[in-house]
Amino acid sequence: MIRLEHISKIYDNDIVALDDINLIFAEGELVILKGVSGSGKSTILSLIAGLLKPTKGDVLVDKKHISKLPDHFCSQYRRDNIGFIFQKYNLIPTLSVVDNILLPLIPLNLDEKELHVKLESVMKMFSIVHKKDIIVKNLSGGEQQRTAIARANVNNPKIILADEPTANLDEKLSLEFIKILKELKSLNKTIIIATHDPLFFDLDFVDRIVEIHNGKLVCS
Amino acid sequence: MKKINFYLLEYAINYILRYKSKNIFISIVLTLLVAILASFFFVQNSLKLEFESTLDAQPQIIITNQKAGRDTTVDEKVIDKLLNINGVGDVVSRVWGYYDFSHMNAKFILVGIDEFENQDNATLASIAQNVDLNVSSMLVGQGVKKTLSNSYYRKYFNFILPDGESKKIYIAGTFKATTQFESNDMIVMNKDTLRNIFGYKKQEATDLAVTVNNPKEIASVILKIQNMYPTFKVVARKDLKTVLQSQFNTKSSLFLILFMVSLFTFFMIIYDKSSGLSSEEKKEIGILKAIGWRVEDVLKARFYEALILSFFSYIIGIIIALFFVYILNAPILKNIFIDYHTIENNFKLPFVLDYETLLLLFLLSVPVYLFATIIPSWRVATLDADEVIR
Ligand SMILES: Nc1ncnc2c1ncn2[C@@H]1O[C@H](COP(=O)(O)OP(=O)(O)OP(=O)(O)O)[C@@H](O)[C@H]1O
Ligand SMILES: [Mg+2]
Repeated sequence: MIRLEHISKIYDNDIVALDDINLIFAEGELVILKGVSGSGKSTILSLIAGLLKPTKGDVLVDKKHISKLPDHFCSQYRRDNIGFIFQKYNLIPTLSVVDNILLPLIPLNLDEKELHVKLESVMKMFSIVHKKDIIVKNLSGGEQQRTAIARANVNNPKIILADEPTANLDEKLSLEFIKILKELKSLNKTIIIATHDPLFFDLDFVDRIVEIHNGKLVCS
Repeated sequence: MKKINFYLLEYAINYILRYKSKNIFISIVLTLLVAILASFFFVQNSLKLEFESTLDAQPQIIITNQKAGRDTTVDEKVIDKLLNINGVGDVVSRVWGYYDFSHMNAKFILVGIDEFENQDNATLASIAQNVDLNVSSMLVGQGVKKTLSNSYYRKYFNFILPDGESKKIYIAGTFKATTQFESNDMIVMNKDTLRNIFGYKKQEATDLAVTVNNPKEIASVILKIQNMYPTFKVVARKDLKTVLQSQFNTKSSLFLILFMVSLFTFFMIIYDKSSGLSSEEKKEIGILKAIGWRVEDVLKARFYEALILSFFSYIIGIIIALFFVYILNAPILKNIFIDYHTIENNFKLPFVLDYETLLLLFLLSVPVYLFATIIPSWRVATLDADEVIR
């Protein structure tokens, strides 16, 4: 379970990105965060991932105070719990597909067999296995996204965060992503998607849509 | 014990290869700096060893005579009186001196021997025992022979006597030298022949070599000789050593300048490197943090990377220096150190492996480079990942 309690975030330039947000995400829930550009959606995802500290308030994940964890444990928490699909994918462009997907596993120093099984299964699941040795910057947008999704899932995290996952995709690829989403949902992962793409607003497997406006929740 | 993380190591190697041109440049500069500094150290150590072994072949005490402040000859008649001094083991008169072979741009040392005398120099002793030199022949070092034959003196050489006459001396052969200075510098002939060439009278010698039975008594023996013959200059081998060494150190100051320049260049690179990472590199660290790497994982990867690069450069640099100094015999560099009697010398540097030099260069290159790599990465890795990847 993820709880945001009285969260405010004021950036260094005095921009109030979030203002007293209270939110709860249950386990296995698929929630869409909607809102116009600049409303604070990405900021919420970063707070949940522990990439950012709130100015006020508390983020709790399974009763752990994520917003108060020292950096060292924050990394460990991310590694074990979070799969983040970034808006710009944040892949390392000069590494191959498989080397990118491998990155989250490197600090774990797993034995070779276990590592192989994880890599192969995740690449198969997200249909990128045929491109595994291609350098990422030579991939198409859809392939890059599938690589990013595979990397986010290689640790088998409980929580998937996706920031504008369809922003750089055409309609066909967007629909493909919806299919992937459904599959992830069936694995009982907690999924939070920040988007303003209407495609997500009337999907039958979405549990909830939360709207944000100017850093505040819009009551619906 | 935790096992080595080979995935991390592989990532580090991959990282070097991904920033290939930059890393090739850095390792070339680093390699060259190590190679230049190591070459200087190697040449210096090698020459030092050679100097010292040359000095060790010198007698314990040397007596020269002075007249009006200038060196002059010693009369062999004083030998009997010197032998009466307590503690003196042996006194041998020596006839020797430099002769300028100006038209071949060389200066060789001529040494006279007498088969009846004890020689404390190993080379001369073996010559005196084994060879019968007649009055018109000489033995030359291997190096000297080469220089002479390059100027077409293969059988004999005409020495010019003080009165302007010339004297033909035949080359009877070469001798086996113990040091390279001897081989490249020395010509041995009969004492009387040499007196003739230098214009000495019958019992005149260039200097006297004194052996003392108990080395602890050297100082007191010197004092006694000095009291008996105030015009004599009496020098212990130990003092000669300091004179030679001080000469050597002035040469080293030139090296010191080069050393500073190299270090300066190196630190400029280090400074440039530590002043910041490219945005691409920063972003990569941010991404790694965002997907769950801890700061220590990032730093470990950078540590491997820097260690591989700098250690590789260090080893290659040392190998280049070893090759340059001991195989190619340090062309150009050697001449800075030696302003040595033969300008056209074929002196071969003896091999000395000096661990201190290796350690010093290691400490100057590897740890410094490690810090310069790790510190800027550490600064980025401790920022909020969100800030770096946005
Ligand atoms: N690192 C930062 N420093 C300063 N201001 C920031 C920073 N990140 C975000 N902001 C500001 O905070 C507000 C919320 O940003 P956020 O990225 O959360 O919005 P968003 O809803 O994700 O918008 P978009 O749909 O454009 O991605 C914006 O006004 C943005 O300009
Ligand atoms: Mg956003």
